[in-house]
Amino acid sequence: MEPIEELEQDALELPAEPMRLNMGPSHPSMHGTIRMVLDLDGETIVNVDVQPGYLHRGFEKSCERGTWTQVFPYTDRLNYVSPMLNNVGFALAVEKLIGVEVPERCQYYRVILGELARISDHLTCNGAAAMELGAFTPLLWLLKVREWVYDVLERETGARMTHSFGRIGGMAAPPTETLADDIREVIPQVHKVVAETESLLLHNRIFLDRMQGVGNLSKEHALGFGCTGPVLRSTGVDYDVRKDHPYMVYDRFDFEVPIGHDGDNYDRFMVRMEEIRQSCRIIEQALEQMPKDGPISIDDPRLTTPDKGKVYTTIEATIAHFKLVMEGHKVPKGQVYGYTEAGNGELGFFLVSDGGGTPYRVRVRPPCWFGLQAAREMLLGEMIADIIPTFGSVNMIGGECDR
Amino acid sequence: MPTLKIDGQDVPFEPGDTIMRAAWRHGIEIPHYCWHPGLSVAANCRMCLVEITSGRRMDLPILRWDDKKNEYVPHTKPKLYPACQMTCGEDMEVSTTGEEAQGAQAAVQEFLLLNHPVDCPICDQAGECKLQDYWLEHGHQLKRKLTEPVHKPKGVRFGPTIVYDGERCVMCTRCIRVCDELVGDHVLDMRQRGNKSEVFVAPGRQLDHRYTLMTEHVCPVGALTSRDFRFKARVWFLRSAPGVCVGCARGCNTHVDFDPRYDRVYRLRPRDNMDVNRFWMCDDGMMTYRQVHEDRLLVPAIGRGEEREELTVKEVLRVAHRRLQQHEGARVGVVLSAHHSSEDNHVLASFARDVLGTDKIYIAANGGWAGDDILRHGDDNPNRAGARAAAGADAESLEDLIQDVLGGEVDAVVALGWVSMEGADELGPIAKLRTVVSLTSNDGPLPQVANIVIPVCSWAEQSGTFVNEQGIAQEFRRAIPAPGNIRPAWQTLVELAGLMGGQLKYAALSDVRTALTPTGAGPTAGEARA
Repeated sequence: MEPIEELEQDALELPAEPMRLNMGPSHPSMHGTIRMVLDLDGETIVNVDVQPGYLHRGFEKSCERGTWTQVFPYTDRLNYVSPMLNNVGFALAVEKLIGVEVPERCQYYRVILGELARISDHLTCNGAAAMELGAFTPLLWLLKVREWVYDVLERETGARMTHSFGRIGGMAAPPTETLADDIREVIPQVHKVVAETESLLLHNRIFLDRMQGVGNLSKEHALGFGCTGPVLRSTGVDYDVRKDHPYMVYDRFDFEVPIGHDGDNYDRFMVRMEEIRQSCRIIEQALEQMPKDGPISIDDPRLTTPDKGKVYTTIEATIAHFKLVMEGHKVPKGQVYGYTEAGNGELGFFLVSDGGGTPYRVRVRPPCWFGLQAAREMLLGEMIADIIPTFGSVNMIGGECDR
Repeated sequence: MPTLKIDGQDVPFEPGDTIMRAAWRHGIEIPHYCWHPGLSVAANCRMCLVEITSGRRMDLPILRWDDKKNEYVPHTKPKLYPACQMTCGEDMEVSTTGEEAQGAQAAVQEFLLLNHPVDCPICDQAGECKLQDYWLEHGHQLKRKLTEPVHKPKGVRFGPTIVYDGERCVMCTRCIRVCDELVGDHVLDMRQRGNKSEVFVAPGRQLDHRYTLMTEHVCPVGALTSRDFRFKARVWFLRSAPGVCVGCARGCNTHVDFDPRYDRVYRLRPRDNMDVNRFWMCDDGMMTYRQVHEDRLLVPAIGRGEEREELTVKEVLRVAHRRLQQHEGARVGVVLSAHHSSEDNHVLASFARDVLGTDKIYIAANGGWAGDDILRHGDDNPNRAGARAAAGADAESLEDLIQDVLGGEVDAVVALGWVSMEGADELGPIAKLRTVVSLTSNDGPLPQVANIVIPVCSWAEQSGTFVNEQGIAQEFRRAIPAPGNIRPAWQTLVELAGLMGGQLKYAALSDVRTALTPTGAGPTAGEARA
């Protein structure tokens, strides 16, 4: 038997090769279907290969089959947590290509519904973040108030999630009479629940330890990866499309763009929390400023289908309806990039029209795709358990990311 | 060539041209209903009013309604001219999109729709209707007159092919002019005045000449509809392939309109070709699309009459091969078809010479119909010239084949197509032969006397070339896929040749065309705007 003294001291450690582990594509604690191939040294992540695409369903190609209006239901299914923002983003891009602007009342209406959608988006993301760290109560509380936000959207659009409410040149229907009252009832509830949630979490040692200093992303990396939205702002970059390239009537509102400084999970969480409050501010101001009456859609039968009553009784309206439904909007030949601030950042639609009634090409810049690219940078060197909150705070939405 | 400017664009014209014709030739569309390049100028729809901005202006003092003041105010407007009637002048400047011209177009459009019924959902024209197109492009004014529209006769039977709807009619008189100028039969005219006007058929007559469907073809709205096409399909579901009519040796160019969802051809439309058919087709030609779906032979079979037995394509080819091998090649008669493409005929002729080694080549063709000096040619075969070219100089008719069979010189037959001027009874001697192979798309005398029937593609299911009586080789393209695993005749023959040990080196249609070029196939003749 060999004398033990002859062994070097380090050799007592078991030789550990990196272990390769597949996480996903179907994993109970992952958001959506995504696969991560991990190289682990013990519990530490040495390398991670993030593989999206499991929810690819040919969104962009599908858009080339129908008319321009028929794209709206598809956009609902991009970021399905805030479909109204996608509806509005697509409508704005097409309107930019046509060169028209919707009536003022419609612009306010779009802002209000869009900000409600943003609130529901952030409530969901942050609720899930807490839940994944073992705090189930905040999730239930936040989803409770999200349901109330959905109630408002349902009363306005007829659907809780997939509204398909946007139209080229306006919205499908004017606001209901109770819009202002409904919203003024729900906004204090949002404030209350957000405050309660913060009181539960922000003094919680476990929550803070798991969030602060975990999943760090530097400003340079965030910019380099093309991140926008909460992921970029959490690193300290003050960029919000609504402020920097105001569209619709966003330049008429007084609101702040919250930014973080570390770019960690905690900052991303807090940026979203604060954005909920800012969205509430925008909505309150928009309700004040919104004209009480006036058209909600552009009064041009080439863009907006006439009333059903007229369609059934007059030939001109029948023709307008026929042309818009069977052939689609004659969007002028050309291309356009329309961009708005969606829940996860800059949602861009690059559209090409050949002058027919059907999109020639629809390309989406899905905001969470860029956050997802940065996920590797955030995760390197972290523990395996940190994947869940970090990936959650990127808020990758399969419908949008994989299209 | 002198030029004029239309909306700032230089447009060349020939002396005597109207602004409309110069624009049409140059590919600029000035909105119009009553003008048609193949008809005389009527200038009655007023849709093509344009402003001539060069030369001496003629200003008209008018009263114009002012919305703000809520009263009529004096206004000067330039006189507008109908582009379809105004002759071009050197360096003339024309505006079709100026405020005045657009105002006139919108006003005319609004007038035309004043009494129009809400018919789009049940109108066959919807989807290819000028009223719809121009309303969107030049009017887009919703209805201002909310009183009851004028009612006129609907669903009037003009003749065996055409139904007229007076309420949809815009009184452009195109249908009347087609009858007058193309056919020379003044069977249609207009009666009444103003918003009571309607088109009617001469008393005691029916719209029953040989070009009645052209009245429907030129109708810019849904006033005249074809009884054959009525309520059969919605045009926005149809796709179109360029075709050549199989009705006669004229070889009118067609659009073959088919529905890709059901692989069904619904109608033909004339395709403009100044060298052949100009803008027109005859009724019988328009109806030839029915061959694609009626009386088709789709299942391979052996045996005659009651004893006919169905097989698969593979089996029937094997049977044909075995039977043909039992005959001396030089005693096999090969029948080309004046109804099949030059490509099919060429491959069959090669099959006869190179694989069978026979020079007994015959041509089956229809026996002719009543021609006229408009379009209809007396020879009702689309490709007699192509078949002749494939057969060589000494091509014989089916009558000669019957004589040869009776004389014992031919004891097996390979025949292409179903068409022959002789009926099945007259072909009786052939029916007694032991081996008669028929490659056919439809039922007819030839497949009836055959005992080995191999279905092949019809003209709508394959691309090919017809050579018309002028000697112009015209290409047609496949519209719909063939049902089952049926293939074009030339492909079937290549496979049969392979079984028989011969080699026909044609892998693709382009190979056949390359071999054909000296004998007639060329590019599609004629340009739409020659």
